[in-house]
Amino acid sequence: MVSLALRRVAFSLFSLLVVSLVLFMLTRSIPDSPARIVLGDQATDQQIVQFDRDHGLDRPILVQYVAWLRHLVFGADLGSSFTTGRDMNRQIANTLPVTMEIVAIAFIAATLLSVTLGTLSALYRDSPIDYLARLIAVLGVSVPGFWLALVLILFFAVDRDWFPPGGIAPFSEDPASHLLSLVLPCLCLGSFYLAVLTRMTRSSLLEVLGLDYMRTARASGLHPVRVLAYALRNALVPVVTIGGVSFGHMFGWALIIEQIFNIDGMSRALLTAIQQRDYSMVQAVVMMFTLVFVGANLIADLVNGWLNPRLAAAA
Amino acid sequence: MTGPLLQVDGLSVAAGSGANRRGVVQNVDLRIERGEVVSLVGESGSGKSLTALAIMQLLPSGVRASSGRIVFDGVDLLELPRRAMNERRGRDIAMIFQDPLTALNPTIPIGRQIYDCIRTHADLGHRGTLTRVEELLALVGIAHPHERSRAYAHELSGGMRQRVMTALAIACGPKLLIADEPTTALDVTVQAQIMTMLDRIRYELGLAVLFISHNLDLVAEICDRTFVMYAGSVVESGPVETLFAAPRHPYTRQLLRCIPRLDWATGPMPTIPGLPPRFGDLPAGCAFAPRCDAADARCSSEKPPVWREPGRMAACWRAA
Amino acid sequence: MTKLAARCERLVASCGGPAGFFGACVIALLLAMALGAPLIAPQDPLQVSIVDQLQEPGEGHWLGTDQTGRDVLSRIVWGSRASLTVSALAVVIGLAGGVPIGLVAGFFRGGWLEQAIMRTLEAISAIPILIWAIALVGIVGVKDIQIGPLTVTNETKLLVMLGLLYVPTLARLTYTSALSESQANYVAARRLQGVGGVRIMFSDVLPNCLSPVIVQATLLLAIGIIIEAAISFVGLGVQPPTPSWGNMLASARDYLLSGEWWLSVFPGAAISITVVGFNLLGDGLRDRLDPRHIASEAGR
Repeated sequence: MVSLALRRVAFSLFSLLVVSLVLFMLTRSIPDSPARIVLGDQATDQQIVQFDRDHGLDRPILVQYVAWLRHLVFGADLGSSFTTGRDMNRQIANTLPVTMEIVAIAFIAATLLSVTLGTLSALYRDSPIDYLARLIAVLGVSVPGFWLALVLILFFAVDRDWFPPGGIAPFSEDPASHLLSLVLPCLCLGSFYLAVLTRMTRSSLLEVLGLDYMRTARASGLHPVRVLAYALRNALVPVVTIGGVSFGHMFGWALIIEQIFNIDGMSRALLTAIQQRDYSMVQAVVMMFTLVFVGANLIADLVNGWLNPRLAAAA
Repeated sequence: MTGPLLQVDGLSVAAGSGANRRGVVQNVDLRIERGEVVSLVGESGSGKSLTALAIMQLLPSGVRASSGRIVFDGVDLLELPRRAMNERRGRDIAMIFQDPLTALNPTIPIGRQIYDCIRTHADLGHRGTLTRVEELLALVGIAHPHERSRAYAHELSGGMRQRVMTALAIACGPKLLIADEPTTALDVTVQAQIMTMLDRIRYELGLAVLFISHNLDLVAEICDRTFVMYAGSVVESGPVETLFAAPRHPYTRQLLRCIPRLDWATGPMPTIPGLPPRFGDLPAGCAFAPRCDAADARCSSEKPPVWREPGRMAACWRAA
Repeated sequence: MTKLAARCERLVASCGGPAGFFGACVIALLLAMALGAPLIAPQDPLQVSIVDQLQEPGEGHWLGTDQTGRDVLSRIVWGSRASLTVSALAVVIGLAGGVPIGLVAGFFRGGWLEQAIMRTLEAISAIPILIWAIALVGIVGVKDIQIGPLTVTNETKLLVMLGLLYVPTLARLTYTSALSESQANYVAARRLQGVGGVRIMFSDVLPNCLSPVIVQATLLLAIGIIIEAAISFVGLGVQPPTPSWGNMLASARDYLLSGEWWLSVFPGAAISITVVGFNLLGDGLRDRLDPRHIASEAGR
């Protein structure tokens, strides 16, 4: 188990390293240099050279990369944007929690709901709840979250006044309103994942229930609830894997949802940066997203290693 | 308590539904006395495993007992509600299966699996149950039971897994142990060890055992009585020595002839020609007739009567 | 059974069942719509008309008109081209890049080089595709690029980048299959016959790797549609006035609260139906080709 954990962590770090390198290369290789963006088209060559020298942009790319990496790893410092001069740490620190809250709530709610639905669906095959679960699965997978958002806004916020059509009231000011304004975004964000996970739980549990060791469990006379627990212990492994992957993906799709609901999260930071051609900010934000993604995958792998010791042994 | 421990009367099991319905076990009678070791022998597909699963009420979905009675300790199991049957499983009747690797939960330590089984049927307290788990592991011949109880199934050898399964089965002191081909998946040397262990357990705990196998030779060692199954029915039964010495059914006779002996001269080994019939595809008349070396026209057209003597039976025209 | 009925049954079976067949039909319809857009669309999708602004669905404009008077139905029909082109060509690029890499790496075990490449691909595949697509397009810019005589539109940039982002996933999938197939006995038998490695790779190993790849490709087609829509939605995809379901939704946002529901509902419905089609077909193919259901579900 420990060796598995170490290996996975090492691989995740390797992953982040490769990705950050690729990202860095990409942002540094675009034709529009930060100097030109900041100083404008009228800038003289003299001014550009000076700018580059001031910001360390005249050094070889690999040297710049190592410097950037060192700042990031040892100082947890993303530095200041070349284009806007603002401190990127603070910008991200302001927006990251907002996105994180939406994703976390959507993720937890979807996970609980889908595991419950999937389990019931597998236990009571061909019952009404099974059909409901399968319907949700098909719809959730096919109706894109952002369209669902538009439809729900039309339905709930325009025709009825149940949920606000956008924005999030701060929690400290008005908790109830804050929670209400989270309902639609989280619902739209989690719908795809809910569908995928319900289906996965169902098929995984069905498969496990037919296996030999479940027969042994029943032959031992174990209480039906414990039999279910025995089954879930095994059936949840693929579910955890998908959970990890999906958390990262949801973090990405939150971008679109935030745009629709006018929420001031990471998406705003990214899109504003793109608009302002602030490529160092783009790089920083994408790095954050990737970090979350890799981190979620890592946690899922570790949880799986704990759940299923055979995986840990084989790794 | 008087009367046999297990009495199966006219058990029939069918699979599928509607147009696909086929009988896989027909009209089986079995009797096991307390403390007796009985074997159920037959080829693959003879219905022996399904008979055992029917007794445990663990038939797979789509397969159902269609008629008959299974009277265990005075109670007809087929009439019991689900919860009552669940209470008896593990506590009064237990079963060990053929492939111990797939039969043990891979994500739960083996000690925990035994612990849970004991806790379900008895209240020995936490420490008491843990002690009992280690006692059981030692009883089935596992060294270092304390360390081993934390192991997972895939960390153990085949023979050890089978011992663990046995420990799991006898954990609550059942009266009847059903062993479904427990040694088939094991190496020959390990087979012998497991058989010895089972015999010892049986003796020490006073268990009755229903031993299922396709290997006549193997069961002769530890069994008192044998039931021979072919194509879903019992074709012969009786005390093991008499069956071996003077079989009354051609199937039993031909089976015995196939067992290799060291004093044979060289030459082709005897076999039973042909294949057993598929489920639901039984010929008219005796099911074994197409492969029987003593069959005649009557055998192929009319079902044979059951010849009986006290303690023996054979379903053959020529039994007498 | 008549010959026609038998042929129909085979067709349905080849799609993996009635659901898969339904999906295949939906896609066939979509393809017809995209290819036949000039013939099918009732009006010119770029035709602006001030008098017809924001008309509700009805006579003359079955799905209504948008804020500049363009017919929504025609724009949806033409918009299918953008969605399908981006999605399909991205998958083609992904296959063209990923399958050979995975095949060669899995068959000609290259020692440390193979390990390095595969590990790197595995590392890269741990990225959220949407974010990267947005970032890459954002960095490169949405304007058309001139490379000599060629004009590279934003659409093209998008599909190339998406295709490249697909390569790691497809390469790894092919690699896993190629690895296990290469060790199969029939490959050893062919080698003993004296058949050259490259030939074995193409004629024996490749066909057996294709099943999971085909299933994944179908799912990537569905994802591509959604990604294209999402990227166009934030303004980084197909640029107006060229219609795309995504940018139609983008402009519909402004009219959401004022009640012009048809601007949002119809393009979104088009996306959903298409995605349902691809998903059903993908599921059907998976049932047919890969009964073990390797968990590649969350490939978003």
